[in-house]
Amino acid sequence: MTTTPASGAPAGVERRRVTFPVMGMSCAACASRIQRQLVATPGVREAAVNFGTTKATVELDGAEPRTVMEAVREAGYDVGTDALSLAVTDLRSALDTSRLERAILAVRGVLGAVANPAAESVRVTYVPGFLDPRELEDAVAAAGFVLAVPVTEADPVERERLVREREVRDLAWKLVLAGVVAVAAMVASMPLMASEAVGSADLLARVLMPLNGVLRRGLPWLYAADPQSLKVGLFLATVPVMAWSGRGFYVSAWRGFQHRSADMNTLIGVGTAAAMLYSVVATFAPGVFTGAGLPADAYYEAVSSIIALILLGRLLESRAKGRTSEAMRRLLGLAPRTARALRDGAEVEIPAVAVVVGDIVLVRPGEKIPVDGVVRGGRTAVDESMLTGEPTPVAKAPGDEVVGATFNTTGAITVEATRVGRDTALAQIVRLVEEAQGSRAPVQRLADRIAGVFVPVVIAVAIAAFVIWFDFGPSPGPVYATVVLVSVLIIACPCAMGLATPTAIMVGAGRGAERGVLAKGGAALEAAAAVDVMILDKTGTVTEGHPAVTDVLVALEVVDRVAAGPPADGEAAVLQLAAAVERLSEHPLAAAIVRAAAERGLEPPEASGFRALEGRGATATIAGHTVAVGSATFLIELGVDVGPFTDAVDSLAARARTPVLVAVDGAPAGLIGLADPIKPSAVAAVRAFKAMGLEVLMVTGDIRKVAISVAGEVGIDEVESGMLPAGKVAVVKRLQAAGRRVAMVGDGINDAPALATADVGLAIGTGTDVAFEAADIALMRGDLTTAVTALELARRTMRTIRQNLFWAFAYNVVGIPIAAGVLYPVAGVLLSPVFASAAMAFSSVFVVTNSLRLRRFTPTFAT
Amino acid sequence: MTIAKAVVTVAGLVAIAWVLWYFLAPPPPARSGGERR
Repeated sequence: MTTTPASGAPAGVERRRVTFPVMGMSCAACASRIQRQLVATPGVREAAVNFGTTKATVELDGAEPRTVMEAVREAGYDVGTDALSLAVTDLRSALDTSRLERAILAVRGVLGAVANPAAESVRVTYVPGFLDPRELEDAVAAAGFVLAVPVTEADPVERERLVREREVRDLAWKLVLAGVVAVAAMVASMPLMASEAVGSADLLARVLMPLNGVLRRGLPWLYAADPQSLKVGLFLATVPVMAWSGRGFYVSAWRGFQHRSADMNTLIGVGTAAAMLYSVVATFAPGVFTGAGLPADAYYEAVSSIIALILLGRLLESRAKGRTSEAMRRLLGLAPRTARALRDGAEVEIPAVAVVVGDIVLVRPGEKIPVDGVVRGGRTAVDESMLTGEPTPVAKAPGDEVVGATFNTTGAITVEATRVGRDTALAQIVRLVEEAQGSRAPVQRLADRIAGVFVPVVIAVAIAAFVIWFDFGPSPGPVYATVVLVSVLIIACPCAMGLATPTAIMVGAGRGAERGVLAKGGAALEAAAAVDVMILDKTGTVTEGHPAVTDVLVALEVVDRVAAGPPADGEAAVLQLAAAVERLSEHPLAAAIVRAAAERGLEPPEASGFRALEGRGATATIAGHTVAVGSATFLIELGVDVGPFTDAVDSLAARARTPVLVAVDGAPAGLIGLADPIKPSAVAAVRAFKAMGLEVLMVTGDIRKVAISVAGEVGIDEVESGMLPAGKVAVVKRLQAAGRRVAMVGDGINDAPALATADVGLAIGTGTDVAFEAADIALMRGDLTTAVTALELARRTMRTIRQNLFWAFAYNVVGIPIAAGVLYPVAGVLLSPVFASAAMAFSSVFVVTNSLRLRRFTPTFAT
Repeated sequence: MTIAKAVVTVAGLVAIAWVLWYFLAPPPPARSGGERR
């Protein structure tokens, strides 16, 4: 979508280049037909129609967009349109509505506008390319309305976030209703069960008696109430739970049924519906049961509690999902909103989205570069850590390429835009994250997989039991058959199965949080438990992420000449001098030197006449002496004989240290070595990963020599160096293609795509927000051993989930035959639906208790 | 009663067979019209 005022147009006549989509082209001949039609239109200078991209580009010389659209339609095709919804604050009356619609319709490129006062929004249909978002914003403002969100931000990502928020709120309210009714129903059912179970000398009645006694003392009025009224009251409370809170399950179960799949929803739907149906009959036609000598029990509490528990699991899942789209918002938020462009020789501030290829933009120190481009004037250093992860700013001179959203540190530059909008490096990173999140297959839950077979089998068993009881059972056959059918469906109802995963994850995630591990949902832990390859980013993950002084070498006789007062030692004197000069510089290496001096309690002397040469070094005058600090090349240029330090410089470089020389009055005084130090925990963490059976790999945007040196120190054998964000993604994908389960630990924005692509991405504590959002697991500490803890926790949690699922199914495997009446011919025992529902509750308690054991999890690296 | 039992037996067996066939041995599902996600 581009709208370019072509330069050099005669005053008064507007010449603009516009690109818009064309619909209905089926061959290249169509394209040339439209092109001929467009060129023949008065006021159109040039036209090019591309069949491949289905887009037309025209240069308008006075023609109105409407004329152009008509020309396309005359040729037998149509102009592609798009629509967007804008939230408008204070849009109340019908009068407002028509005023707003008229204002928007007057904007060039707009085809339709429909305002909706109820939703306080307006839906705008427009031709992409013709519409300038700013004109639309201006028109709305001129009509006296305020847009809740700027047009440029009314993007799909934002919309998705709003949808997600609504979903979470919706689930939360449904859960509240179901939960309140479930608790009330459980309490109210106690007197019912007591009154009806006592006579039958049921085992269950004896189990529940103590609790019943407590309740009787606490709520005597409840026991005084008429059982029939209680049942009717429970029925009235349960109907909205089913109709509103549980509606989603029934809809999903029905959809699944249409697609021939049976899952948790089917179990929940069939189970709760059976319990409800049975309860309704017991409430309103109890004679059906009592006439056959059976208790007319109601199971309303089972209906509500099943729905409440399953909703809780869904709510937790939905909240975790919302965090992934948050990553996209943050990424997009990195790009500056506005740009200062040169238009007709004047400096104008325009929205960054309005910058077109070929525009010259001005970028001052301390600003972000708005688009990708080439430096045309000025010199500076640009912090490209967003792209490369390397913290050291890169020197830029005319002819060098710069990347949008990177940070201009020291000098003012002019940049010619080369890539804008969807083509910028940032947009590509966003797309990488987007693709990774979109392509990742939703983790198929073990419970669902088993349920796919389990559910049809249960339904079949229930029907079989019904038929057998009907044909061969005692009289009255239909009643016994129905009781058995419902018992089987209730005992098979997935209460424990529904709890197996969420409780383990809740406890595991809670324990993780105490240990600095924040997992975004069960899928993250599930993936983390299964990984067999661990990829570590270098900068900020294995290393501290910022340079520090590692070596100081001194030429004493030179230092002594300037040192004011007796220095503690030569090293201190060199640091002191260097810090005095570098204090005035903004280079990160300079900051490291100043920090090193401060850490040793050194007070740098006053310096004057500071001069910096970007990315190379600086000079200043201290107590009448000229002090130069910088690279060897810089000092040689200043005429300093660096001979005495040549060997030392080479040896530092070989150990991946950056050498910085200090010269006093043209004589070399000292040498400072800087490096990004390795985190103290890295070696132990790498050893732990290997002990867990993982293959450990390091990726970095840094050069090979440094990468190998760092990897060697921490014990990593495999290294991929010189990696840009896309390269890191490629490494992850290559391993995944080989069937490996990949975990990736990183901290930078540049790691975000790889974090999102990996089976499980772990963002380390020192990292950026974007990395955190793109990752599946956020580590709250900078310590790499937290990643070890995360994997240990994930493995423990998954083991607990598997145990839970095993026991939940085991209960069913034992319970279903009993519910079906297998023991009746042998021992005369028939499992009543009451016992079926109690067995279900017991399996739930078991599962919850097993999950709670996770609280005792202690990581190897306990801190 | 015998007739009722016979009917229920046949209907039950058909239902069981249908449930198992419908969910467990499906050919590629033919999507019902209008169902969009």
